[in-house]
Amino acid sequence: MTATMGTPQDTGAVVRGTVPAAGGGRPARSRRSRPLITYGRWWWALPAVLAVLLIHYVATAGGAFYAFTDWTGIGDFDFVGLDNFRRIVEDPALIGSLENTLFLAFGFLIATNVVGLLLALALNRTLRTRYLLRVLFFMPVVLSPLAVSYIWKFIFDFKGPLNGVLGWFGMAPKTWLADPTLALWAVLVVMAWQTTGMVMVIYLAGLATVPAEIEEAAALDGASTWRRFQHITLPSIRPSVAIASTLMLIQGLRVFDQVMALTGGGPAGATETLATQVYKETFALSNFGFGAALALLLTLIMLVFSVLQQAATKDRS
Amino acid sequence: MTQQRHRGLRRIGVLVAVPAVSALTLAACGGGDDDSGSGGSGGSADSFSFAFENASGGQENPWQLLADQYSEETGVQIETQGLPPDSYGLSMRTQLQGGSAPDVMMFSPGAGNANAVLPLAEGGYIEELGEESAALIPEGNESLFEIDGKVYAQPTDIIPVGVVWNSGAASDAGVEVPADESAMLDDCGTLAGDGKSFLAVAGSAPPNMGLMAMAISATRVYAETPDWNEQRSAGDVSFADSEGWQATLQTIVDMNEAGCFQQGAAGGGFDAITQGLTQGTSLGAFVPGAAATELAKATPGLELQVQPFPPADGGEPFLLASPNYALSINASADEGAKEAAREFLAWMAEPENAARFTELQGGVAITGPDENLSPVYEPVADLLSDGDYAPLPNLAWPNPGVYDALSTGVQGLLAGQGDVQSVLESIDQAWDQ
Repeated sequence: MTATMGTPQDTGAVVRGTVPAAGGGRPARSRRSRPLITYGRWWWALPAVLAVLLIHYVATAGGAFYAFTDWTGIGDFDFVGLDNFRRIVEDPALIGSLENTLFLAFGFLIATNVVGLLLALALNRTLRTRYLLRVLFFMPVVLSPLAVSYIWKFIFDFKGPLNGVLGWFGMAPKTWLADPTLALWAVLVVMAWQTTGMVMVIYLAGLATVPAEIEEAAALDGASTWRRFQHITLPSIRPSVAIASTLMLIQGLRVFDQVMALTGGGPAGATETLATQVYKETFALSNFGFGAALALLLTLIMLVFSVLQQAATKDRS
Repeated sequence: MTQQRHRGLRRIGVLVAVPAVSALTLAACGGGDDDSGSGGSGGSADSFSFAFENASGGQENPWQLLADQYSEETGVQIETQGLPPDSYGLSMRTQLQGGSAPDVMMFSPGAGNANAVLPLAEGGYIEELGEESAALIPEGNESLFEIDGKVYAQPTDIIPVGVVWNSGAASDAGVEVPADESAMLDDCGTLAGDGKSFLAVAGSAPPNMGLMAMAISATRVYAETPDWNEQRSAGDVSFADSEGWQATLQTIVDMNEAGCFQQGAAGGGFDAITQGLTQGTSLGAFVPGAAATELAKATPGLELQVQPFPPADGGEPFLLASPNYALSINASADEGAKEAAREFLAWMAEPENAARFTELQGGVAITGPDENLSPVYEPVADLLSDGDYAPLPNLAWPNPGVYDALSTGVQGLLAGQGDVQSVLESIDQAWDQ
């Protein structure tokens, strides 16, 4: 770190306006011609810092406060201690929502990363149509999750195209979104289908940093495709793995749009997640205190898993 | 030197102006009408604001049309807010707490819905109404509009809930309205063999499942025990131990097994109902009577009627019918706006205006069936005249969670999850929350 200080790449002193003139103690540039950034003192950021603190952290802390009350969204409330959390633990439906959340989060994490990486590897260099294919695979990412979910809802409909295709093969139609054993998988498919393109782009960016010469040298030395991937490609794209997996885990844990649009949490709670339960309890059933407790729990789960995931993908070299 | 000073001043000016403009912008965005009194939305004796549910978002909404008519007749300006039904209750709660709620608001009577009026009245957000409003409350419905003898909402019309029946399609299929459950299950088998269904249901929409269960409970629970909800509130009965509720949910299971519902019913949406009814592939559906009027208007040649759900074998027909919508006044509104709001409510209660609203909404006059009764309700006219009906049960339930537990529970029964007893136990649990 210290070795780089004062090198031509170190622009900090220039930005700070403290570079001395050669052979003299006077500043190289006069006070009059200093760039505006010279005035960039810490207190310039104060309004933004205050706004973030007030709007984000204080508001979140305020929401957490209600997790220990029985507020119904209107009128007075009483402190109920940990009752809301006790109720969460004792309610099988909410435990089911937690399980669904974890299933979707980790299923989403694995599906998007595995498929996204395979797509990135396939479309990295040699294929002539790779630019067109990249666009096609990335396109779902720019669409609204709700719009995508409603299209898939039509596909999964009992009289929809998917059952039509099954019918060609003489198979019985299925109620994809109303079958408790299939509905959660259907939600996972829609989530992964829409987001895999994003993961592919992250991995493509990572793969661009892998020197082709090293791979070629390894290939000349007789290393198999798998060994080249294992020992050259994967270590080189470790930062991409960390970013993609963290983003997908968080996105999976807070899944909401797709569930609401496809199943509304049904049938009978089979696809409810913590996020949909937060919405339902807070805004549909007016249990603001209980909804805040669920939201707090979801936040803590996301925090814990994010930290664990960061630790797991940390570059130890 | 002068240039330097100017530059310095300009920099200081920039430094001061940016936060100042930001502060002004924020103040402008957040600026309320400070002179609007104690949190009301302003207004005077010749103007007020009015919020209501508007599912389609169009101008043909009955509330909008009546408000326009009132403005035309009296010259009073009404600022209307037609909001989507699914977020309406939350919007009103938020606005009432923030002091920015409209002067007149549409609510659901009782406490069982997200847009229910009584919890808001208990919180002191709703103005007490007078004798004129109290006189409109149908007998037996007082607890849905009153707290300690004080009236907080004015009913508008009665909406019957039974089975909306496609008479034309039934006639084509050679099926008559079954007299009891056994006859209905027989018809279900016959129709299923012909590729049709006795009923179209929206299995993916829990509220439709809840409405089905309530419509069936009319004959299984409320015909024999009209005060069942009061008994439940007193802790004398429970859903889990109620033979009537057990029979209600068992009927749904039996209907499912007998093929009474359309194929893929568990995953069906409201489009399955409209398509089934209008195309004649299903003979009936559980939708409010007002929706039958709307569907009939929108589909020329479609013959829809409201029928009571077939009773259990040996039972008598019985119906659900109640004022499902009511008008209330914001307690924090300005005195001028309150006065204008009271006059509007009095105008709405006048027979010719009430009749106009009833016609537009497709309901039944709040005073009971009269010469203006829509032909859609002809099969249930006698039940309505004889008082053989109970209010929609969930209006009197203590919180929205009870109806949610019933709705999702029935959805599960249709999808093969859970059993009758566990669903009833979950409803009891929601009641006691």
